[in-house]
Amino acid sequence: MADTLPPVYGGEILHVHLDTGETETEAIDPEDARRFLGGNGFAAQQVAEHVPPDADPFDPENVLAMAVGPMNATPFQSTSRGVLGFVSPMTNGFFDSTFGGTLPQALKTTGFEAVVLHGQAEEDSYVLVDEDGAETKPAEDLTGLETYETCQAIRDREGVGYDTHVLASGPAGENQVRYACLVHESEMREGVAGRGGAGAVLGSKNVKAIAVQGGDFQPEPQGGLQGRSVQQMGRLMEDTEMLQEYGTAGLVNPINEMGKLGQRNMQTEQAAPDDAEAISGETLKDEYVTEDTTCSNCAVKCGKHVSVESEGITEAKIPEFESLFGTATLQEVYDIERVIKANDLCDRLGLDTISWGVTVAFARECHEKGLLDDDASPHLAFGDADGLVELARKTAHREDFGDELAEGSFRLAESLDDEAERYLYGAKGLEFAAHSARGLKGMSIGYATATRGGSHHDTRPTLQYDGEHDETTEGTPEFAARIQHFTALGDSLTQCRFVSEGGWGTRINENYMEAINLATGWDLSVEDVEAIGERIYNLERLINAARGVADRDADTLPHRVMSEPISDGPAEGMYCPPEELDSMLETYYEFRGWNDNGHPTTDTVQRLDLEDVAAAVSE
Amino acid sequence: MEIELRFFATVREAVGERTVTWEFDSGATVGDVLATVEAQYPELDGRLLDADGTIAKTISVMRNGTNVTHHEGAGTELTAGDSLSVTPPLTGG
Repeated sequence: MADTLPPVYGGEILHVHLDTGETETEAIDPEDARRFLGGNGFAAQQVAEHVPPDADPFDPENVLAMAVGPMNATPFQSTSRGVLGFVSPMTNGFFDSTFGGTLPQALKTTGFEAVVLHGQAEEDSYVLVDEDGAETKPAEDLTGLETYETCQAIRDREGVGYDTHVLASGPAGENQVRYACLVHESEMREGVAGRGGAGAVLGSKNVKAIAVQGGDFQPEPQGGLQGRSVQQMGRLMEDTEMLQEYGTAGLVNPINEMGKLGQRNMQTEQAAPDDAEAISGETLKDEYVTEDTTCSNCAVKCGKHVSVESEGITEAKIPEFESLFGTATLQEVYDIERVIKANDLCDRLGLDTISWGVTVAFARECHEKGLLDDDASPHLAFGDADGLVELARKTAHREDFGDELAEGSFRLAESLDDEAERYLYGAKGLEFAAHSARGLKGMSIGYATATRGGSHHDTRPTLQYDGEHDETTEGTPEFAARIQHFTALGDSLTQCRFVSEGGWGTRINENYMEAINLATGWDLSVEDVEAIGERIYNLERLINAARGVADRDADTLPHRVMSEPISDGPAEGMYCPPEELDSMLETYYEFRGWNDNGHPTTDTVQRLDLEDVAAAVSE
Repeated sequence: MEIELRFFATVREAVGERTVTWEFDSGATVGDVLATVEAQYPELDGRLLDADGTIAKTISVMRNGTNVTHHEGAGTELTAGDSLSVTPPLTGG
């Protein structure tokens, strides 16, 4: 039993009732800290406790919980992430979306481990959090502003420069584009809570932004954490060499080389080498990168700024690998300057580049196949770079065909002929990220079972690119499940994934156990630490099961992934036929202790000490 | 036999070329090729192969787009016309 809360925790969760502006604090139960750790775990616990299973994502009953972890603002490297937990307008299930920058560390120093927004503000507002609590402030003059403009306007209003750390929506969030993101512009780099529609949920609450001013709380690790972190630095810097020099864009060329980088809405998975080169990290570094940028407490500096004279762009955020997939290769657009423009626009307007890009590519294939005619939009030809930029504007403002793109590919498909379903690329209502659902077996089962649907941060592709579980189903269901524990743990520590994988290990191991024990004074085993990840993942599953969005039928893959092998290139012939997915699901459920319908059994709920939250989510 | 070498990221920076095509004896292995690259570019000396001749953990190597861990690693025998891609490990994304 845990009797006291380790002083690495601030001790309280802050609840903000937007309808009245009132706030209340909740003391963190030390036992809950042991069970759910922080970040992802705390956010899931808040959603489980406060959101009724039948609440629509846009109902005021939905919450948006912003949480940090126990290691944030300690010497444990790159615990510079914040987690947003909510019910997603894309999936209608639990979603956690993370972001970097300086805001999470500032939040930690307020002493609040999480801030939970309830209800709906009467007028357009922003929420300012400091160590004394939170204030809901009117913000009608901010309506219509882009994300960076909003961050700047709130900083100006509060009068302490970048010491006001702002996470803001753009027009897309205000217009409840279902995959609207939130953008944090800090003095050191931008951070984007990209996936699942956190911006749309905030928009539904009439909240334009969350701003944080730090306080005096400093977490006190129990000892030895600094020295233990220093031990990992050499490995961290060695293994993240590509990120340091090229950012995630460095992945374009090698993954294209493997023939696992989707083109033309996944009709093929390999670009001509010169096309890939044109949008690669190497090209970006040689011709457009102006400086490195970084989150708090991180030596990797994977962020970059780019400038493009022809587009009038100065020091914009570099397109990430995932964004290059969504806005370049899937569109067959290899004009990097237009691609940078489209990405910068998405960041300013507040659009998730993955869901938006995959949705546009889906619409373009539907147009190509005659399911959408020219009257829908003049911008639906593959390769149309100018049209891509125009569609971003129209989507964020829900103008013309942009209003349909704003609903995401799955809802758009429902409005078209049944044939359209053949061209979807996603699961549970969320479009897949860049890591091939056909060419990586671990991603096949990982995506199919992911809490978030098409997320590459449930099961990770990293080890698969190194040859583990990429081309075999043998042991892959257990691999996918255990990596899901790893990501749930990492997002509860709120350590940057890239630093975790590069410096501390790609699986839960003794490194993490030692760091957590040094920080908290607990005496956890590696098995105990893995159980934390497993517990959080099962909690998410329980939430989604109660909402009716997680069962055997929902754990599936789209038609193309199950029926159309990759047509050429090094990965030619790879796909995941239904019988292969069925076999992997059976093994996966058995490993997890879930029943044939994919729900945690009573024994599993008891084993993971989840009886109380299991009861709460079903009420 | 001719083998096309493709270099990415920091490996490319060390080599100074995007691709080169070199002649090797028939039966040459991945390890033979990497040793030749190390000898040609001193900045890469010790970065591609460990002392025991295995591929260093700081790089990934693909033969015709397939990670050579699926073949015989450094011992993978090459055939005329193969491409060999050398990149730092794939992290992030």
